[in-house]
Amino acid sequence: MTLVLDIITTAAILFIIATGLLTIFGVLKIINFAHGAWLTVGAYCAVAVGDLGWNPWLALPVAFVTGAALGGLTERFIVRPLYARPLDAILATWGLGIIIGQLITLGFGRDVQFTAALLPGTADILGTSYSIYRLFALAAAIAIGLGFSWLMEGTRLGLSARAVIMNEALARALGLDTRRIRWVTFMIGCGLAALAGTLLTPLTSVDPNMGVAWLVGSFMLVMVAGQSFAALALACLLLGGAQVIVSTYVSPILGGITVAVLAAIVLRISPKGFSRV
Amino acid sequence: MKRRLVIAALAGSLLAAPAFAKDPILIGVPVGLSGANSVVAPSVVQAAELAVDEINAKGGVLGRPLKLVVADDASGAVGAQKAFDSLVFQKNVNVLISMETSAARNAGLPIVAKGKIPYIYTSFYEGHSCSPYLYVDAWVPEQQVPPVVDYLKGKGAKTYFLIGSDYAFGRGMLGFARKYIDKTGGKVVGEEYLPMDGTDWTPIISKLKALGADALITSTAGGAPNVTLTKQLRSSGVTIPYANLAVDEGTAKSMGKDAAGILISASYITGIDSKANKDFMAALKKKFGDKARTPNDLSVPEYEGIYLYAKAVEKAGTTDTRPVLKALGEVSFTGPRGTIRMNKQHHAPLTMYLGQVQDDGSVKVVKSFKDVDPGNQCPNLK
Amino acid sequence: MRHLWILALITAALVIAGPLFLDRFTVNVLTRSMTFAILAVTVDLLWGFTGILTFGQAAFFGAGAYATAMVLTHLGSTPGLMVLGLVLSIGLPVLLAAAVGWLTFYPGASDFYATVISLVVPIVVTQLIYSGGTWTGSSSGLVGYFALDLSLGGYFRLAGLSLVAVVVAALIFVRSDAGRVLTAIRDNETRCAYLGISTQKVKIALTAVLAGVTGFAGFIYANSSGVVAPENAGFVFGTQLVVWTALGGRGTVIGPALGAVAIDYLSAQLSGQMPFLWQLVIGTLFVVMIIFMPNGLAALATGWRRMRRPADGVSPELVALPPRAGRGGPAGAEPLLQIEKLEKSYGSQKVLEDITLEVRRGELVSLVGPNGAGKTTLMRCMTDGKVASGGSVRIHGTGIHGMVPDQIVACGIGRKFQVASVFDSLTVAECLRMARVSHESPSFLRSADSLSLPQAAIEILRLTGLDQHLGREVSLLSHGQKQSLELAMVVSLEPELILLDEPTAGLTAAERATIGKVLVRLTSELGLAAILVEHDLDFVRDISSRIVVLHQGRLVLDGTVEEVVNDEIVKRIYSGGDHV
Repeated sequence: MTLVLDIITTAAILFIIATGLLTIFGVLKIINFAHGAWLTVGAYCAVAVGDLGWNPWLALPVAFVTGAALGGLTERFIVRPLYARPLDAILATWGLGIIIGQLITLGFGRDVQFTAALLPGTADILGTSYSIYRLFALAAAIAIGLGFSWLMEGTRLGLSARAVIMNEALARALGLDTRRIRWVTFMIGCGLAALAGTLLTPLTSVDPNMGVAWLVGSFMLVMVAGQSFAALALACLLLGGAQVIVSTYVSPILGGITVAVLAAIVLRISPKGFSRV
Repeated sequence: MKRRLVIAALAGSLLAAPAFAKDPILIGVPVGLSGANSVVAPSVVQAAELAVDEINAKGGVLGRPLKLVVADDASGAVGAQKAFDSLVFQKNVNVLISMETSAARNAGLPIVAKGKIPYIYTSFYEGHSCSPYLYVDAWVPEQQVPPVVDYLKGKGAKTYFLIGSDYAFGRGMLGFARKYIDKTGGKVVGEEYLPMDGTDWTPIISKLKALGADALITSTAGGAPNVTLTKQLRSSGVTIPYANLAVDEGTAKSMGKDAAGILISASYITGIDSKANKDFMAALKKKFGDKARTPNDLSVPEYEGIYLYAKAVEKAGTTDTRPVLKALGEVSFTGPRGTIRMNKQHHAPLTMYLGQVQDDGSVKVVKSFKDVDPGNQCPNLK
Repeated sequence: MRHLWILALITAALVIAGPLFLDRFTVNVLTRSMTFAILAVTVDLLWGFTGILTFGQAAFFGAGAYATAMVLTHLGSTPGLMVLGLVLSIGLPVLLAAAVGWLTFYPGASDFYATVISLVVPIVVTQLIYSGGTWTGSSSGLVGYFALDLSLGGYFRLAGLSLVAVVVAALIFVRSDAGRVLTAIRDNETRCAYLGISTQKVKIALTAVLAGVTGFAGFIYANSSGVVAPENAGFVFGTQLVVWTALGGRGTVIGPALGAVAIDYLSAQLSGQMPFLWQLVIGTLFVVMIIFMPNGLAALATGWRRMRRPADGVSPELVALPPRAGRGGPAGAEPLLQIEKLEKSYGSQKVLEDITLEVRRGELVSLVGPNGAGKTTLMRCMTDGKVASGGSVRIHGTGIHGMVPDQIVACGIGRKFQVASVFDSLTVAECLRMARVSHESPSFLRSADSLSLPQAAIEILRLTGLDQHLGREVSLLSHGQKQSLELAMVVSLEPELILLDEPTAGLTAAERATIGKVLVRLTSELGLAAILVEHDLDFVRDISSRIVVLHQGRLVLDGTVEEVVNDEIVKRIYSGGDHV
């Protein structure tokens, strides 16, 4: 039972982390290498909210808005000139990640920061006691997933974004303001990343480099998932599940590289990954 | 010129020291101002500055003032090479005294050997680093682990679960702990490691809960992994006795409620009830005021290391390497941790303290163990 | 080339004399910087020239350094073992890189994917080092082994001369005909594949060879520094290499080498005192450079040189190849191309259905039909064995199912794309040489003075006047010239069957007539077969020997020009098709 819960909640956490990246990659065809930095920004939003003495739950909207606002600036000044040079966009966002990391260090110091535990303690589920927060993470992942499919399927913005995904030239010809769609998408992606950072705080320490550890796993999951949220969910479940199983039965050290290595092999065998799901 | 100003700023209020006629003795402090050690580095630099100030106020050593030269080693090997090269061959320091990561220390040792100057390493580590130029005044597993295990055993623990970060220190500590537990009749039911930058301890915690040990001993990398593991342990409702071989007082304090009950074993705890410690803390407070960093098991050995070097130079009557190296193994200094003498194969017998984190984050000394021997660290050295 | 050797000799002399007048600190720091600069050169060859953005060089460097250090630590340091260390430090990274290359470069792999994998490799290698216990020294690294018995100055000279050698070799290589293949891959990988160049193999080989060079740098490092640590293999180091390369100037070889030495040396001087600020400055500089000056500081120098350079560079002499033996068999014999019941569907939507078609030598078959009839898809099915969903395509009786484009090109098919697909940063002559790479291996050392092409290709060049601009960079050509160049490239492949997707689109009437003439000559006189997708029915009527009509994914008519032009169905499709 614990194993099943471990698998599901691990997948949920991976999903939360990777959604922001997938949003940007799916629509803009750009890998945001500053993703780790946005996670960190989100986590420090939680720290700032704590310092101000606000309700810790307020950190969630604060992080989303901060991430989105900074993302908007980033798109405008750094990413927009580079759409034609996607590899350079990788580098520029990577450089941005360094800058954000150093600015956080200069502002908050190198020390590990602490935030209030949002939901401490355990709950009994079918006879096993399990961390409430991890269960909450599962709920949050489902909420984000559903919220996003609503956004994509049920709103005008989603429709436009899907048009851009399929054929940007055509979308532009049809009179869609693709430049604006890209901008809004980037903002949402960064907002989601920051939100994920906040959601992580009860599970990890908060320090200027915290995002880096999550980076590679998210990249690989997104490469495997392509553009689809359903595929991302499946990839998180399968690869995250493999990680938990390898960690439990073989070695947690191998577990740490399971997602990346398996994803690479999946892509080698089936270059489209899970994107056809 | 500008660079020198920066150094001066970092080296602190040397300008306030009395005027000396002779050239200063230069003490190189390569330390991780950036990277993993950057959390603790400021406290180490403060401790060094305090020691230098105190010694200079009393007239220096052999009539010469001491002067610090701090350099960032970026907490790693490549940064350490730059820092050591700069200190040894560019700044021409007389000695190196500092806490660093094991990788940084190892990277620096060949440079120290080429430069032929003494190097006092002031960080606890996994042990068995040997060089004629190297002295260590901090603890090794042989000194730190037994008090913890003995205490847990006294509380009735028979089965143990060990969790660590996958690196030399983590593996070294837990490897020794396993041997010691076996030797004293306990049983290790599980020993698990996560990569240093690993973030999800869940499968290990689930295993721990499934196996149900009496006590938990952890030795992760300092800082982030330590905090992450403790948070996840607490949120999964693990309540068995928990000894953490890698947490420092400051981190424990800021972790708040999550850290309560954790056992720590160290050669320095702020709560040590001695005049030397109280004087030291007061002096630190006086010198740095609000900016004073909480002294810890890494900064106090730095403070004492500088005193030990000063004593060795006085005894040798020179800063020449060979006589100073000989004297370093003979002199002693009584500081916040008690009387320190690096007379056991270039390592030091130390008094170890077992502390427990209280609900308010402070650490209470539960028990102390006098002059614990470091064991045979370097059989080829005297 | 003379300048290069003079420069190399001066630098080598400076390196040899360096230890005499530099202080010990500078010697030590520069020894390391110059070792790292070797890596920056390899990153430049991969990224600047070939377009593979990689963070993985650190892993190969670490593998080489650790191979050396582990031999010296665990086995000993006799001369024999030192040689073993050297061999392993090169061999191990080569093997590792070959495996990584296989994993990374497969048909259809994206550039992103290569970059992300290059991020995974150092992480996995670092993890192996951490888990290696006493074998690798885990996080503490390995130290205290006996290295090569050289003085500080000796190591300085070893690192410096190795750097000069690597830079010179790299410069010779990238200027050689073989080296231009890398730039061709960067500019247009698809075109390369359709010129019969296995870009995957080239990339894997390049990765492996450069990993060997990187491993050799690791050997020098392990010896000169006397220590190896996990961070030597880590991805942070890998990203630093890219930063140095970017700031120095990608695609220039010398820029990245100088960038690496300068930045690493400066960081030794400055970062010790202000680590965070230093990182911030480098990071900001990096982002600004990537956005506004993607070619780095070296671009300032090369940009100035380019402005002074005339539009046309050196042009090689054209030499006509003798016609291939065994060619030009009787028209109408054994079919060259057989398509049977070919199908292509996307999900439930069928784009092509039940296509059966044969083409023989000497035929010029035109493929017509309204937009969306499936013409281009049919072309793709003939040149990429992974496109079709059913049925078979055979060339000379051999099925192409599962083959990748470069294998199919080797069977004797050449394809010209709808939009001129050429190599923008190459000259006309270099583009044509790319088309000959699959026939004659290019030189790795020099750029040949002559260019051997089939007579037909030379004629195309003559007719279009391109033979007067062989040394001109392709980006300066007109649209029509690019179309003609691509046709000449495809003909240079000496294919037996040429596929042409609207070769006359956007051309003037005169250019159109020229191309028509060439096509007729290729087929009726030289015995090639050609399939032509074309909208211009007049053009089709003038030159075709047969016309095939596609409509809504089906082949509705296959006959002579007269039959088709007078057919009622065709008239209906075309009159209605314009509105569809």
